[in-house]
Amino acid sequence: MAVEALKLDNVKKNFAGTEIIRGLNLSVAQNERHAVIGPNGAGKSTCYNLITGRYELSSGRVYLKGEDITNLQPYEVKRKGLSRSFQITNIFPKMSVFENVRCSLLWAMGYKYSFWHMVGRQSKLNDDAEKIIEELNLKDRRNTLAGVLSYAEQRALEIGITIAGGSEVILLDEPTAGMSVSETEYIVGLIRKVTEGKTLLVVEHDMGVVFDLADRISVLVYGEIIATGTPTEVKENQAVQEAYLGAAMEEH
Amino acid sequence: MDLFIINVIDGLIYGLLLFMLSSGLTLIFSMMGVLNLSHAAFYMLGAYLAYQISIITGFWVGLIVAPLLVTILGAAVERYGLRRVHQYGHVPELIFTFGLFFVIEELVQYIWGRSMVNYNSPESLDFIAFNLAGGSIPAYKVFMLLVSVGIFVALYYVLARTRVGMIIQAALSYPKTVEALGHNVPLVFMGVFGVGTGLAGLAGVIAGPSLTTFPGMAFLLGSIVFVCVVVGGLGSLSGAFIASLLIGWLQTFAASYNVGAGDILIALGYEYPKDIYYHPWRDLWTLTLPQIGPILPYILLVLVLVFRPNGLFGKRES
Amino acid sequence: MNNIIQKSGLSAFVPWIVSAIVLSILPFIFTGGGSITIMNQIGITIVLAMSYNMLLGQGGMLSFGHAVYMGIGGFVAVHIMNIVENESLWLPLPLLPLVGGLVGLGFATIIGSFSTRKAGTVFAMISLGIGELIAACCIIITVFFGGEEGISGDRTMAPPTFGIEFITQKEVYFLIAFWVLISVFCMYLFTQTPVGKMANAVRDNPERAEFVGYSMRWVRFVSFCAAGFFAGIAGALFAINYEILTEQNLNLNMSFQVLLATYIGGVGFFLGPIFGAILFTLLQTVIGLQTDLWALYTGIVFILMVMFLPAGLTGLFAMHLIPLQLGRLGMLVRPYAKIFIPGLAFLIGSIALIELINHARHHGEEQFMTLFWIEFDTKSFLPWIVFTLMVVVGFYISRIIAREVTEAWGEATFVEGERR
Repeated sequence: MAVEALKLDNVKKNFAGTEIIRGLNLSVAQNERHAVIGPNGAGKSTCYNLITGRYELSSGRVYLKGEDITNLQPYEVKRKGLSRSFQITNIFPKMSVFENVRCSLLWAMGYKYSFWHMVGRQSKLNDDAEKIIEELNLKDRRNTLAGVLSYAEQRALEIGITIAGGSEVILLDEPTAGMSVSETEYIVGLIRKVTEGKTLLVVEHDMGVVFDLADRISVLVYGEIIATGTPTEVKENQAVQEAYLGAAMEEH
Repeated sequence: MDLFIINVIDGLIYGLLLFMLSSGLTLIFSMMGVLNLSHAAFYMLGAYLAYQISIITGFWVGLIVAPLLVTILGAAVERYGLRRVHQYGHVPELIFTFGLFFVIEELVQYIWGRSMVNYNSPESLDFIAFNLAGGSIPAYKVFMLLVSVGIFVALYYVLARTRVGMIIQAALSYPKTVEALGHNVPLVFMGVFGVGTGLAGLAGVIAGPSLTTFPGMAFLLGSIVFVCVVVGGLGSLSGAFIASLLIGWLQTFAASYNVGAGDILIALGYEYPKDIYYHPWRDLWTLTLPQIGPILPYILLVLVLVFRPNGLFGKRES
Repeated sequence: MNNIIQKSGLSAFVPWIVSAIVLSILPFIFTGGGSITIMNQIGITIVLAMSYNMLLGQGGMLSFGHAVYMGIGGFVAVHIMNIVENESLWLPLPLLPLVGGLVGLGFATIIGSFSTRKAGTVFAMISLGIGELIAACCIIITVFFGGEEGISGDRTMAPPTFGIEFITQKEVYFLIAFWVLISVFCMYLFTQTPVGKMANAVRDNPERAEFVGYSMRWVRFVSFCAAGFFAGIAGALFAINYEILTEQNLNLNMSFQVLLATYIGGVGFFLGPIFGAILFTLLQTVIGLQTDLWALYTGIVFILMVMFLPAGLTGLFAMHLIPLQLGRLGMLVRPYAKIFIPGLAFLIGSIALIELINHARHHGEEQFMTLFWIEFDTKSFLPWIVFTLMVVVGFYISRIIAREVTEAWGEATFVEGERR
């Protein structure tokens, strides 16, 4: 069996003595679309922050394609090929859409801290950025400041920044939160398109999206994974239904 | 030994004076997240206003009225200036207060001229309180000490025991929650800014006669006060207190012990160069402790910021 | 559109060639007594303000000690001038700014290695601390800083460059203009590099910058070093122009002036500091000759700018691009013209009152004073009444018309279906 794209081994996190993540085990296979669901406050965003180096782990290990990335800095995690989006839109508001995307490509294309390249003259860089903008369907907003885009457009840009640079493992945090039905369709289609051939881990509240998108689902409740499996397996899981899904399904 | 005791007392007075400024600065920073770079300018304003009032009515009225005037001015600055700049973000706020410092400094020179003014301690305090073999402690210094200690105790009492103090303490840690509980946070901001600058004004009123009242007095003390709050840890009152005393003593002792680097170098076995004036290391040889006294706080500041960016007692991120 | 211009190579150089031509004919247009001196000062301030904007505008780092990097570069430049004079080193004068730049770079590398760890208040406080430290060291380390009187040199003793010995101010002007052009060009190029773009990204959202693979600390560090380099160039230019450096050239007051010039011009724009530097130097030199209150005026203007025009002068121009694009700039002419007269009356009245009070307080023994080319008796009531009236009436009418201006502005920038 190939190495897992992402593996969490007994990850724990305490905040001021309270255990928020209590021994998390999760493995995501390569090219798998994996969703994490769970009630509010279950620790989904915390889990992302632990994987990507925003918070420090209290104990446990995180592996990316078999490589230990525990407690690396966010930029080191990204350089190793893992990229994430945020639940609250996190873009560069005073830069144009094009600049947003192009900045996200710079490191992956090997420019590092260069002060001898002119970005305007790097045709591959600019072409790639244009391609991503086209994929995002933001072509007519190319020169608009990111801060003045509509909410849905900002969410799309957020995904664009995340996938730019070709990270193999993508973590999305509630990509469709706060969106209308048509906007949600647009974003889901976008996610499908841009994560083709990549490993995707997605936190999502919208069950329609989850069952539509995911190959496998993990259910996170109070800092622990209580079940993992295919959508059908999870749906039928007794524990899940009791703990969470029942209520959520009714709402849906 | 006697010199030592006198220095302890002088350093304590200076340190408490620093604390009067740094406490207000800390309160303002913790509440509003902005480091008021014009703080020392209000200190100078206090001294000058008290001087102006003392000409007409004598020292004691000035002691009361000048800090109140500074409080009102400070509150007005918050209400009509800072609140407006607040919407642009933290960096413009810092720039605003930095600019305000220079404007107040220029205004003071515009009104009272560029040389020092004759602001004196009251005659009723012009006697020697007690002698300490070799040196004497004037009554005015004892008065300064009493006022500083009084302010310290009052501040402690207000913050720890009263309702207003509880709101302020709560707002330090959870500003949003406090607002949600229905407290008028903008009003609290204005009040804290006013009281903070008023404390600085009071410090100016009592320091004016002893440290002389001149246009450079804000500049002289201003940067030192920032050192106190940053070294103590931005937002930590106890940190500001300890750092103020520490720096008060550091500067007082450095100024009065004339230890030369030359003596140390000779003690280490180096030979005193014959023609000192053309010697490449002449500055090192002629360096004395009183000379480097003024820069010790800045060295401390840089060291603290490098090794403990949150200060000695700070926990809040800026 | 950007791409086309950048790809077509030659046309990208047009603004630079035009600037070069303008710079080379300026001294033949402004030939009056002190104008070359002022232009030299402007040139130095431009380089300094632009380098400062690499920190504040491009990188989001607020420094209160930027003059230090200029000062250190300048002090070393004077020392090198003296070494060259003793003929222990061969260095033509036009290369001296490069040395100053390298010194600034070196010093910035040392300080930046720890100060760029954080932005915001901590960075500002470190810069303040370093600034005060170096300024205090000036008095102590007399071998290098020369104590209170500073150190001086003689630029004309360097080996002649193409026969030029830089004796006249005009010769120095061309040297400065050359370096201003080179520096501004290089600083522009810097904004177009990967690290220059990431500096903007880190300014906007440092956390997200880390999640696209960049360490915010390193990005800041590179910008900081580059800013130090160009500040050092400004310092060497200063040394060449004035042949003396003192503590006053690197203290907190000087750093404040840098901030002021940059901010007045507009920190959000690449060209902003150029306008700021020109305006600030003119205020300082021209108004400085007319009144000893110039520092008060610039301070008040600065505070008002921070409060009401945070985008600076360039921002004010940029604002008007919207009605210009919509073809509605004409709608603003009338209200602007209407507010001009009461506004001017208010301004003149205020300045006159300030000057009058100053005169009464500090030069009370002189009966007459001259303001705006008019001499009058300060002991009579008439000027006091006239100026007070100008202030009160001017302010009142301006306020009424201000509403009209706001309305016209709203109309001129109104776009169907878009909220502004």
